[in-house]
Amino acid sequence: MHELSIAQHIIEIISDACHKGGYSRIESVNLRIGRASGILPDALLFAFDAIKTDSIASNAVLHIEEVPVSGRCSECMSEFVVHEDYILFCPHCGGSSFGMIAGREMDIIDMEVS
Amino acid sequence: MRVKVVTKILEANERIASENRKIFDTAGLFVINLMSGPGAGKTSLLERTITPASGLRIGVIEGDIAGSDDAERVVRCGAPVVQINTGGACHLDANMIYEVLNDLPLQDLDLLIIENVGNLVCPAEFNLGEHMKVMVLSIAEGHDKPLKYPLMFQESSALILNKLDLAPYLDVDVEKIRRDALLLNPNLRIFEVSCRTGQGLTDWLAWLKEQIPVQR
Repeated sequence: MHELSIAQHIIEIISDACHKGGYSRIESVNLRIGRASGILPDALLFAFDAIKTDSIASNAVLHIEEVPVSGRCSECMSEFVVHEDYILFCPHCGGSSFGMIAGREMDIIDMEVS
Repeated sequence: MRVKVVTKILEANERIASENRKIFDTAGLFVINLMSGPGAGKTSLLERTITPASGLRIGVIEGDIAGSDDAERVVRCGAPVVQINTGGACHLDANMIYEVLNDLPLQDLDLLIIENVGNLVCPAEFNLGEHMKVMVLSIAEGHDKPLKYPLMFQESSALILNKLDLAPYLDVDVEKIRRDALLLNPNLRIFEVSCRTGQGLTDWLAWLKEQIPVQR
């Protein structure tokens, strides 16, 4: 729902890193976005393309790697990947007490610059 | 050339949130981020919570897209309040809170309640530096809400089910709300209340008072 403000944060962070490194333009950016982060990749791509025009990232292409949701059961300690993004059941013991260990990521990994 | 960035997109927000948290802890202040969809009863809950009976000195930050109606309601209860208008943004972020902290007498308060923008989605994503998230759901919103908007239920420590007095006029299955909310968050504390009649609010106030020394 707030992909536009997320896109603004991304442009600030990558422009900053680009200037600091003394590069002149950003070709592409790799992100990791968890399926339970509340971010829709298509909406983020759209928002990024809409606001990148006047920045050092004006030609940059965004690549998004989606991270599935996984949890660790607090009862039997086994780790599992879930396909229903939010409801976590331990497939081994059926327990519903768990910690989410992946799926909330919103990270910038690296970028291609020149 | 490929260069590493390895940065959380919301890193700036997280950094300011931890600054806020330090300010709260220095002032000995317990802070709640109060969230719900529009019209669930956040301000009504504040009106029922800011009472002499609570025994707590409470301050409020009101977040709304526009207007100051909620802040005026809180002022009438006698609590210090600051209004933030987000001008369209669907949530409060840590910097908006940081900028208004000087406008509240933090040292003279036990509890600061930040009433977030009415929205069941985005407010849960942004850490403000609070000690605890609490959400309100009015039963008139329907029993499908926990599974449709899971994140807020997962992030909250307590769920206030409001407008229980409307139950006879609605087809809502309150038991399903409880069941699904606990499926998403087995540690969620649920209170069934009516801010209109006052039903159930004694339990909420008693629990709230218990949290404050525990977290500090």
